[in-house]
Amino acid sequence: MLRCGHKQTGLRYLWLALFSVVLGMALSVAMRVQMARAGSSPASEHYAVVTLLHGSLMVFFVLTSAPQFGFGYFFLPLQIGANEMALPLLSGLSFWLTLAALVGIAGSSLLPLRLGMEVWLFAVICFCFAAILSSVNFCTTVTDARTYGMTLTRLPLTVWAWYVTAVLSLLIFGILLAACALLTSDWFFGTQFFAGGQVHSNVALAALWQRWFWFFAQAEVYAAMLPCFGIVSHLIATFARRPVFAERAAVLALCGVGVVGFCVWGLHMFSSALNPYSPLVFAQLAGSLGIPASVLLASWLLTLWGSEVRLTTAMLFAVGFISLFLTGGLSGLFLASRDVAVAAASTDFVTGHFHLVMGVAATFAILGALFFWFPKLFGRPMNETLGKTHFWITFAGVYCIFMPMHWLGLLDRARGGVPGVSAGGAARTFITTAAMITIAAQVIFLVNFLSSVWRKEPSTNRNPWHATTLEWFLPSPVPADDFGNRPPCIYRSAYMYGERLGGLDFLPQHVSPEQLAKLR
Amino acid sequence: MSGTVLDDIELIIEDVHGHNGGKPPSRDGDDGGGDDGGRDGNSPEPRGHGSRKYSTAVAVAMLSIVMFFMVLTAAFLVLRTEPQNLHTWAGIRLPRILWLNTCLLMASSATLELARRRLSMDESRGFHRMWALTTALGGLFVVGQVIAWRQLAAQGVYETSRMASGFFYVFTVLHAVHLLGGLCALLYVGWHKLDASRIGRPLAVEVASYYWHFMDGLWLFLLALLYFGQ
Repeated sequence: MLRCGHKQTGLRYLWLALFSVVLGMALSVAMRVQMARAGSSPASEHYAVVTLLHGSLMVFFVLTSAPQFGFGYFFLPLQIGANEMALPLLSGLSFWLTLAALVGIAGSSLLPLRLGMEVWLFAVICFCFAAILSSVNFCTTVTDARTYGMTLTRLPLTVWAWYVTAVLSLLIFGILLAACALLTSDWFFGTQFFAGGQVHSNVALAALWQRWFWFFAQAEVYAAMLPCFGIVSHLIATFARRPVFAERAAVLALCGVGVVGFCVWGLHMFSSALNPYSPLVFAQLAGSLGIPASVLLASWLLTLWGSEVRLTTAMLFAVGFISLFLTGGLSGLFLASRDVAVAAASTDFVTGHFHLVMGVAATFAILGALFFWFPKLFGRPMNETLGKTHFWITFAGVYCIFMPMHWLGLLDRARGGVPGVSAGGAARTFITTAAMITIAAQVIFLVNFLSSVWRKEPSTNRNPWHATTLEWFLPSPVPADDFGNRPPCIYRSAYMYGERLGGLDFLPQHVSPEQLAKLR
Repeated sequence: MSGTVLDDIELIIEDVHGHNGGKPPSRDGDDGGGDDGGRDGNSPEPRGHGSRKYSTAVAVAMLSIVMFFMVLTAAFLVLRTEPQNLHTWAGIRLPRILWLNTCLLMASSATLELARRRLSMDESRGFHRMWALTTALGGLFVVGQVIAWRQLAAQGVYETSRMASGFFYVFTVLHAVHLLGGLCALLYVGWHKLDASRIGRPLAVEVASYYWHFMDGLWLFLLALLYFGQ
């Protein structure tokens, strides 16, 4: 049961993410309704539990799991020409640990407060182990399981992104695990590392927890975003029919995001007990994240420039991702500067910022990847008309939800941020209405997804997008033994578009020059 | 026309499983990432199905373990140097048996290397003898750690007594847990009948030895931290 094939593991992770996102969205509806009734964020214990559950589900089981473990487990071996992950035992083990974590986190909300917190802690520990095991598996697979000719420079950007994310996850989940170990010791063995679990009883000790938590959490944002960057680069090149502009710079940018993202952990701790000079350092580091982000953005835009874009649903979601990433990233610049952050950042501003840049943008990349790879996952494509309808309603909806939140945040701060008194009642009603419509529109996606999964229709085309990477040249759905007992050979980079081959405009990675000569 | 060419390509894919009759391109060389390069290498087969993946996996796992213990170390140093703790820190007297335990662990590393040497000389009996000795020394180290905890408890020093004792128990217990994993690996590699097609004994021994030596180094670091940090 533990030893599990990579395709099965990937699909299981995707189903788990789908369940989590539906549950998480239902919770967000409950929160908006509660806020609409109370007029602001209610201070009740139940509201806090629902918020924690919503955040935990979305961060751990959707944003972390779907792009990295869901698509990664399924497509990483296929894209590098391997038949299986390097360590299949770890694939199965990490999935079951993730499932245990999901059950624990969801169940913890139904338990009495103290017991619920303890169960939540153990569930997070389970997830840390799962993430570390998966990361070891990913790193080993990319390092040692690449097929003939699959040099580092020929790796698709998706693989690079999964690789860098695995290294980052390896480090940051180790940090969270250590922090959880100390907290477990406090709660169950009576030690005093965080003042006996009463985190708020001592400012210095609370700061210690804050440091470890943010060391993880700040980098976790990039661990969630990095696979999305890779996916978006891949989709844009495929549907723009152009090689990725400055592909090596894009790879370096992915690595740069990973390295700098790991170092900016003190960014949001301006008012805690850190060295007074530290905000200067962290603000500079956070600002320097703009360099790799700009390189990626330039690469995407210049790949698109002058190209004959195929506006499939997957491509729409990729372009939507760029829009949301840019918008959310701009508000992030405000938060990266200490003075501006202190003056402008209130709960609503921060909520609007991170939902746009981390939550929604990443979800768009996940949806883009799903529409793109669906034929390979299930043997037939999703409905494009329903997909595009779903995209446009969601795209407009998320802007209507999260842009006014920035404004509300500024308004709250301008009025002095008096607790319990919230400004912009009409705007809040508008946000709640937009949230309801946007969430209702997800029914279109669910109908499209489920009907496509269950539709009994044999696949006719193994490469509907005319993509170059290896997975598209295997039958759909992919056979159990992938490439069988003869691994493929790679002769060129992953983005050879625009090269004429008969009536086609791409060169597959694996076709040898001799074969090409025959085809030409 | 395009359908025909695509069909041709798909037919070639049937052949993608092989090397198209030519010499397989290298997986490791820098080919410039462009078209058709990298065909002069001599990598016999992808290594993921071979031996190196286990070494890589252990190396990567060790990176995560280092991070884990570095965070605990940082917590120790942060709390140790807090202004309110700087002059009032109540350290603990390390049990003397820790030094004996350290010697046992160092000796286990030495015997492990001797076992590897016996294996390379094809002395199966000598290998098993030294491997058993390594495992026994590792087991004795864990027993010694338990005795150290009992000695501290007998002196009334529990994990809840003070911050220093809390860290002592956390460091030593977590190290022992990791070391128990190493002991399981020693037992598995030494006495389980390995599937030679997946991993041969020399490689399994090598990989286990990396982890065991790493545990040694980690213990020396933690011991120094606990000793000088008091």
